[in-house]
Amino acid sequence: MKFTARQPGINVNVSPIHPLKEFAILAGGLLAVVVGIYLVLGLAVDLIVPRLSMDMEKKLAGAFIGKIVENEDAADTTRSLQALVDRLQDRCAPLPYNITVHVTESDAVNAAALPGGHMVVFTGLLAEMASENELAFVLAHELGHYANRDHLRGMGRALVLMTASTLLLGADNSINSMIGQGMALTELSFSRKQERQADEFALETLYCHYGHVADATSFFSKIPEDGDPGRFGHYFASHPENRRRISHLEDLAQARGYPTGDPLPLPADLTVKINPP
Amino acid sequence: MIDLIIFLSLLALGYGAGSWAEKRHYRSIAARENATINLPAVTLKSVAIPEHKIRSARLVYGSAVISVDYFKRILASLRNIFGGKVKSYESLLDRARREALLRMKEMAGDATVIVNVRIETSAIGKQSRRKNIGCLEAMAYGTALTVEE
Repeated sequence: MKFTARQPGINVNVSPIHPLKEFAILAGGLLAVVVGIYLVLGLAVDLIVPRLSMDMEKKLAGAFIGKIVENEDAADTTRSLQALVDRLQDRCAPLPYNITVHVTESDAVNAAALPGGHMVVFTGLLAEMASENELAFVLAHELGHYANRDHLRGMGRALVLMTASTLLLGADNSINSMIGQGMALTELSFSRKQERQADEFALETLYCHYGHVADATSFFSKIPEDGDPGRFGHYFASHPENRRRISHLEDLAQARGYPTGDPLPLPADLTVKINPP
Repeated sequence: MIDLIIFLSLLALGYGAGSWAEKRHYRSIAARENATINLPAVTLKSVAIPEHKIRSARLVYGSAVISVDYFKRILASLRNIFGGKVKSYESLLDRARREALLRMKEMAGDATVIVNVRIETSAIGKQSRRKNIGCLEAMAYGTALTVEE
């Protein structure tokens, strides 16, 4: 056999694919998987919320409780607010929740509904209140979120992750505390429909409790237009969405024949603490 | 955000520099393979040459260490998720083996033939998981025979 020196001509050991093409295929595939999981989590929220037991919800609440920094001085305020919520709940808003009110020092003109019936009221909100009816409307609005379990939906995909990790790893796991740490109390987002339903619930509760709906919309209206709503713009009148909410409430009150009466003054505990003379 | 910028810069740098180095290396390999084509390197243990005609027989070897670039590494780690042929590493091994063979031939000098050629490959920097420098070595060795005319 004669040896003939020649080059093989082709390289069989290197795949003839452009590396950028391979990168596009692999990275695109990974992205598609991630997007798929994200979408499935979104769908899972609506599946989970009606099935979540009260017991489970209390376990989820553990992740958030640590974030609530309660003001020692505000003990009277908390008690007074708790009494108001209890009065509202007692006759007019029977919910399967034992609502616990927490007062937190913050400029945010807002209140938040956390899992397990923990309602957080920021001092910035209390400073704006002029009458008990006005305050009751805001509290009843949050009760409305509890009634529709919006507070769970508002957590979005985090709820699915937290529920799954609680089922698999128990209540005090690192995933839960990480999500709890990362989520700002004011970040819970609600859809327009959820806000409208909570408004309607609040209006009904107000009428049921006081027999009239005075000051139901005053909180929306009295905030100045130039006030900076920022990301806490839950209740501000300058927001076009809130003007729509005001007119919706006024139409509803008119249609159902809810009268307006004289608003009650704020409970003494609140007036002294929040508006010092 | 800054992490993402660093990541993308490294990816672009890895792709640019890696492709440039690879193209240059393949050009050099092709040229040298053509230049040394008349020195056969075979895996046969012996050739049919009468013993008295063999002037010298000696060990020759060549080794080459080739590093992976950032782009290829990311491509390979994506492959690690889905499985399949790690195509981005194929050219590295190919270059290392061919470079090692060429260096072996260079060491053989004016020999007539290299017999009993073997190629071995090993990874370098695998021990410390965190500081994985990610490169591989190919080593080629054989027996160079110089035959009298």
